[in-house]
Amino acid sequence: MNMIDIENLSFTYGGKVEALKNVSLCVKKGEWVTILGHNGSGKSTLAKLIVGLLKPQKGTIRVDGVELSERTVHDIRKKVGIVFQNPDNQFVGVTVRDDIAFGLENLRIPREEMIERIEHYAKRVDMYSYLNKEPQALSGGQKQRVAIAGILAMRTEVIIFDEATSMLDPDGRKRILSYMRKLRDDGVTVVTITHDMREAVQSDRIVVLKDGEILKADKSEDVLKDKETLEKSNLELLLPLEVLHGLEHKKSTNEEIKEFLWQLSLNG
Amino acid sequence: MAIKFERVSFQYRGIDEKGYLALADINLSIAAKGEFITLIGETGSGKSTLAQHMNALLTPTEGRVHVFGVKLTSDKKKNRRQRLNPIRQRVGLVFQFPEYQLFEETVLKDIIFGPKNFGVGQDEAVERAKKMIKVVGLDESYLERSPFNLSGGEKKRVSIAGILAMEPEILILDEPTSGLDPMGRNALLEVFHNIHEQLGKTVVIITHDMNTVYEYAKRVLVLREGALVYDGDPSGLFSRKHVEDWNLELPEILRIQRALEERFGIKLDKSPRSRKELIEALGEVVG
Ligand SMILES: Nc1ncnc2c1ncn2[C@@H]1O[C@H](COP(=O)(O)OP(=O)(O)OP(=O)(O)O)[C@@H](O)[C@H]1O
Ligand SMILES: Nc1ncnc2c1ncn2[C@@H]1O[C@H](COP(=O)(O)OP(=O)(O)O)[C@@H](O)[C@H]1O
Ligand SMILES: [Mg+2]
Ligand SMILES: [Mg+2]
Repeated sequence: MNMIDIENLSFTYGGKVEALKNVSLCVKKGEWVTILGHNGSGKSTLAKLIVGLLKPQKGTIRVDGVELSERTVHDIRKKVGIVFQNPDNQFVGVTVRDDIAFGLENLRIPREEMIERIEHYAKRVDMYSYLNKEPQALSGGQKQRVAIAGILAMRTEVIIFDEATSMLDPDGRKRILSYMRKLRDDGVTVVTITHDMREAVQSDRIVVLKDGEILKADKSEDVLKDKETLEKSNLELLLPLEVLHGLEHKKSTNEEIKEFLWQLSLNG
Repeated sequence: MAIKFERVSFQYRGIDEKGYLALADINLSIAAKGEFITLIGETGSGKSTLAQHMNALLTPTEGRVHVFGVKLTSDKKKNRRQRLNPIRQRVGLVFQFPEYQLFEETVLKDIIFGPKNFGVGQDEAVERAKKMIKVVGLDESYLERSPFNLSGGEKKRVSIAGILAMEPEILILDEPTSGLDPMGRNALLEVFHNIHEQLGKTVVIITHDMNTVYEYAKRVLVLREGALVYDGDPSGLFSRKHVEDWNLELPEILRIQRALEERFGIKLDKSPRSRKELIEALGEVVG
């Protein structure tokens, strides 16, 4: 069963910039898909189309079987949460607490449960002691963590993370990554947009975009070792795979080392 | 010394609660030329706050910062625009969020704003914009675009081009590679490295990427909860003690090297710093 079904989708900004060209793609229920691609390849545009922030000019988007339209967009937003690339675009509350509450109010979550969820997710992202601060007075990484908490708290069936960890310190990034794994294990459908190959390696499938078109969509393991495809879209191999690639032509390299490098890369 | 911090503390004022101490008793000197520094630390440790003191966007609430001979203290009356303006040109700061830096209606106007503001003529400023847009990996057609209608990574590149076009003597970059695609990141790190190598300029980069630290830094500063806990070379930084105490991530090159050594007893006689060097060094031993 597909959670997201996209057929022949095209989008052009202002009649000039062709951001997506005839993209078809599906995401299964409970699947974790990563979207990779060079700056400007159309990743965020795709994400904004899925949540109905932009209107398709050609093609269709279906979420859980329902076609996205003006009539259905409201219901679809209750199903699909998105963490934006720039957390500043997401803040609406005066305090961090208000901010996390905002999405929950829209879902009409009862007050008691709302408070519970706010505190639970603030702790999850390590921002509990900041609940009464203004979002504007936070560091970049702290803003990202609050934006993530706000979406997690909504417990939507689908979550899209658009470069949501780009300013987190290594430890914070690992925590969010392990939380993404937990979401997938809990049956949530996850779409992550990232430039971090170590994040991509964790997901089930990888879609590579280039100039608004899908260059490759396949099992993560198969995309990760495809040096040629990756390089076409400004991406690079994970370091252990690059080493493997560099040693490939040396016949004497023992198979055990090769296998070890492969395992290293799968562990991110 | 071009930049000197003497017992600097900085407290953000809160509206309702007590202030927040973001920097605590920092002592630090940075030379006008020849430094390549990376500044690291956990989220919220004070990196951006420290960077903003280096070009007088923030002034200390305690202690003194000297920037190219101008003394900055908590005495607001003395921190007048005329005194601070030259500092802003000599020390260029690229913000963590490009949105804070982009405000004109076209990318061209945005890039020439800085140079023109500091006395560069229109023609020369436009020439610089044309050059810098390519340096950051975009083509000239972007100059006519609105900076607000760009992808995240494109905004980041434009904000970097704007500061490069000012040709500052010291370049401070706050997480310049977050949001860049991997090849763009590598290419821009090479640009910053070349500015340092060929023009001898001092470059300070804030980053969470330990690979960048390991490959490029000559000197590393580590902030923890507003305090400067390390000021030294990158080799010393990744000793077991610091890695444990400060919960540092090892650069990938070191991780692979250590994993291969542990598992297969492979020992390298060199210490490679880049991907290429690592593969060459391994090729000699393994091949
Ligand atoms: N509001 C807008 N108006 C006009 N063009 C836009 C707008 N937003 C994005 N674009 C253009 O559309 C293309 C795709 O942009 P998009 O934001 O989807 O890229 P992305 O893959 O998310 O890139 P990044 O990795 O830099 O975030 C780019 O060429 C960009 O310049
Ligand atoms: N404008 C502000 N008002 C109040 N506190 C702030 C403000 N900006 C940052 N802070 C706080 O100061 C600390 C350091 O922030 P910052 O220097 O941005 O951290 P870093 O860049 O290391 O992530 C953080 O705890 C942050 O919440
Ligand atoms: Mg984007
Ligand atoms: Mg910062």
